[in-house]
Amino acid sequence: MTSSFLSAATLEEALSAMEQGARPVAGGTDLVVGARQGKAPLPESIVAIHRLDELRGTSRSNGALVLGALVSHAEIAADPFVRERLTALADASAIVGSRATRLHGTVGGNVMNASPAMEIGGPLMVFGATATLRSANGERSVSVTELLTGPGTTLASSGELLTEVGIPLPADGTGSCYARLEYRRQMEIAVVGATAAVTLRDGGVEGARVAITALAPTIRLVPEAEAALVGTDGGSGAVVAAARAAAAAAQPISDVRASAEYRTAMAEVVARRVIGAAIARARGEAVEVPASSSLFGAGGGA
Amino acid sequence: MSVAGRGSASEAAPFVRPDGKEKVTGSGRYTADLSLTGQLYAKFRYADHTHARIVSVDASRARAIPGVLAVLTHEDVPDVLYGDLVQDRRLFAKERVRFEGDVVAAVAALTSEIAEEAAAAIDVEYEPLRPVSDIEAALADDAPLIHEDWESYEADENLGLKGNVLGYSTVVKGDADAAIGGADVVVRGRYVTDASQGAPIEPRALIARWQGDHVIVWSSTQVPYAARAGVAHVLQIPQSHVRIVVPLLGGGFGSKCDFHYEGHVAALARAAGRPVKLVFSREEEFVAPDHRREGMVIELETGARSDGTLVARRGRLVLDGGAYCGEGGFFAQIAAMHACGPYVIENVDVSSTLVYTNNQPSGSIRAPTAPQVCWAVEQHMDELAAALDLDPVELRRRTLVEEGSEGPTRQVFGPIGMKATLERAVEMIAPDGDLAEDEAIGVSCGWWPSFGNPSGAYVKLNADGSGTIVTGAQENGSGAVMALPLLAADVLGMEPSDFSILYQDTEAAPFDAGSSGSQTTMNNGRAVVAAAHEVREKLLDLAAEQLEVAREDLELADGQVRVAGAPSKAVEIAELAGSGEQLLGKGSGPVPEAPPCDAQGCLGRLGMESFLEPQVFTHAVRVRVDRETGVVRVLHVAAAHDSGVILNRLGADGQVFGGIVMGIGQALLEVSQLDEDGRQRNPHLLDYKLVTASDAPRIDVDWVETPAQDGGPKGSKGVGEPPTVPTPGAIANAIARVVDARVYELPMTPERVWAAMQTNGR
Repeated sequence: MTSSFLSAATLEEALSAMEQGARPVAGGTDLVVGARQGKAPLPESIVAIHRLDELRGTSRSNGALVLGALVSHAEIAADPFVRERLTALADASAIVGSRATRLHGTVGGNVMNASPAMEIGGPLMVFGATATLRSANGERSVSVTELLTGPGTTLASSGELLTEVGIPLPADGTGSCYARLEYRRQMEIAVVGATAAVTLRDGGVEGARVAITALAPTIRLVPEAEAALVGTDGGSGAVVAAARAAAAAAQPISDVRASAEYRTAMAEVVARRVIGAAIARARGEAVEVPASSSLFGAGGGA
Repeated sequence: MSVAGRGSASEAAPFVRPDGKEKVTGSGRYTADLSLTGQLYAKFRYADHTHARIVSVDASRARAIPGVLAVLTHEDVPDVLYGDLVQDRRLFAKERVRFEGDVVAAVAALTSEIAEEAAAAIDVEYEPLRPVSDIEAALADDAPLIHEDWESYEADENLGLKGNVLGYSTVVKGDADAAIGGADVVVRGRYVTDASQGAPIEPRALIARWQGDHVIVWSSTQVPYAARAGVAHVLQIPQSHVRIVVPLLGGGFGSKCDFHYEGHVAALARAAGRPVKLVFSREEEFVAPDHRREGMVIELETGARSDGTLVARRGRLVLDGGAYCGEGGFFAQIAAMHACGPYVIENVDVSSTLVYTNNQPSGSIRAPTAPQVCWAVEQHMDELAAALDLDPVELRRRTLVEEGSEGPTRQVFGPIGMKATLERAVEMIAPDGDLAEDEAIGVSCGWWPSFGNPSGAYVKLNADGSGTIVTGAQENGSGAVMALPLLAADVLGMEPSDFSILYQDTEAAPFDAGSSGSQTTMNNGRAVVAAAHEVREKLLDLAAEQLEVAREDLELADGQVRVAGAPSKAVEIAELAGSGEQLLGKGSGPVPEAPPCDAQGCLGRLGMESFLEPQVFTHAVRVRVDRETGVVRVLHVAAAHDSGVILNRLGADGQVFGGIVMGIGQALLEVSQLDEDGRQRNPHLLDYKLVTASDAPRIDVDWVETPAQDGGPKGSKGVGEPPTVPTPGAIANAIARVVDARVYELPMTPERVWAAMQTNGR
């Protein structure tokens, strides 16, 4: 049972509480829901950070978009700049949990929860995002790819708070996409997901990043898939080869959501559609946000 | 939505239920919203194994925790068994635990955290036994007995209780073996269904408070009178000492039928000397007994002549009853009837076995057994059509029952709109243009009986001329109770809005069987009409005297009693009601009986061998299937039902919308996955996937209104359960058309559709 709860008024206060063992809470969409479900009891000591204005808002600096830890999924999904330049992140943020989850859930909490099924993890990785970790003793910056070390685990020490995420803006000519397999149209969790960011120049693929979600202990980049794309014309042959490479990198488990066999088969399907959509967007073709709705679930209603 | 337009009550202006606004706006108060001064919080200690002998229970550590006011085990309550057709369970497990939700002990404490800590501090020593989760394994000769003492149980002798066989039922007509031998075409199929859940949005909540030797239990139950009888039985006190009150009920879908936890909280409150409140977590709601639709294995074999005539149906069904009978004892028989379906079949030989397992007990979830069996039968019919090279709709057109047809037990049907529902549903689903190549239409037909039950109501007029209906009927959210004023108003020439409704309080109203079996309008509706007629008679007497005219010249309309044809000669009902004369009526009405049949050769007869006023229906659906992923989207459902005369079109349509969405969930997503020991692996709404509003398709509803001969008021029947029944089967048939493969497991999850494509087709 929680015996200490502090609503921090300053970042310093929050960091000091964390140094003494408090766990941070912002939207509470993982911590509180998990405790109610019996996944893990609420921490002994909690520090609420939702009043810290310095953790709010988005800004642009040095060719990067900076998201404060308290930025909600709903804010990201609605941000015209994100939708235009970091479309995969908008795809992901728009389908996290329910509308209530998206309004309350934050970037910081979502990343540090380190779920292998996290929607925004793949987009952050393909864009090469970095996380700023602050503690009472200082600050450091690590890439999101390095930060996520396993299901529910990160590189951060217990006294470190994620304060912001910086996302370098991709080169012109880049299209990106995140999608997941969806059994139903709302309130889903990724059973299989994939992200792609593809940069086209003069009709050919100049750069590519592909990540797979819910297919391994962490979300991971698949360099083999990227290699299969770079230098090609981005045609269907290259897309299929890259999707196969993505599926080959999967190490799925069997659980209540799907068997490993199905996940492996779907990895290729999801990766193929996502890479195809990223290339289409790079070419200026419209693929609606969130892409999952149009790429999966047999499309829209009657 | 189309309009029926058959000159019935359904053409009347939409009747909006009076409890709608408070529920939608959040001002409605449910059981969990109630708090009593000094109340304690209850927690249960559940079984730590799904099958084990209890060696000892030691609650001393729990009792010593400060803030704990009561800890109860089987030693603290009368040693009585309870159950419906079989008395096979106790409030607290005594010698054995038989499934994960068995309650071993209960705690009442100052806070729920202390109660939880104390429940965990109860020391229970077990000797684990081999769990039996698989239903066919439960029938094996060497299977461990779930109930060692089954021979000593009080049980309905027609049930056929024997070892792990909880019930056995057959439907036999003619010589099916010989007829199969002579058939032009024979098809066979094996269909397996997993368990799914009632999954009401409101988890169970209860509060008990004693005053002297009387107890009031506020409970989220669908069946307050069964709850009252249950409390009285397990505590060995008179029913008159027990009052059950149901605040607003947040859905049930059958999972809040039967007597359950009212006995536990009443016993805790008595022991602690304080009110005790119990509110379930979502996980508790998932594992509670009688909250699930049972899994089944369904084997069907049908022989037909080349013109489609069904010469024989053989079937073998095994149903998972779970650890206790509850109120599900009749499932074997009703499943056997559904294995025949609303078709003319010359010879029948169907056997159906309900088995005990160490799984969660099964309950009456919205049309129990029917959606699963209908899903199997309707796929089977499409497979037969393919073998006959007939269009599936044409095969049904040739074989569905009509007036004068003989059912599987030679019940002869009166007027029945079965075939009309087929034609209407097919008409409504017809697409404007060509279907996309990944879309197809599927059709499914079904039936469900009406149930005649005793039921009572009072109607009284207040001094200002308004009315009050006092009814034992329970509102589960369907709106059936909310629509009772329509009936009283009609008899009394008043407006429905003139009436208040006092309901769900066992001390106030006459008995009703509760919100189950789509029976409220059918049975309580008749009671309200009878009660209103008593009031009407008194009004006519009073008015005749006051107006000095003959009674037979009077009519009741517009809130007046007046001379027919001379409306100026009238007296206001309010004036008569305010005269000091008591205007009270009571009613029950005769209980319709099941129609005659010839069930000589049938075993396990529990009264469902013929169907009283069957509700018949056809659903046609259009689906789109993603052939690479197996994800199915239902795009359009056309539902045509004959539920007799529709009294309240808005309410009836609402039942169809909800039932279809529930049916889609059961068809595609909803499954309680079990581990080897019978524990649920996904007892939460993250991985038990209900369909959402976003998944709801376009739904068109039409009603074929054949007046019931022996049904509810004005020729009505039930409405609530049928819409779930044919939905999975129609979806299955549509999927098969798109992917050219059959999915023989329910639910037809994306992975299963995908797997079927890998093995069967393409």
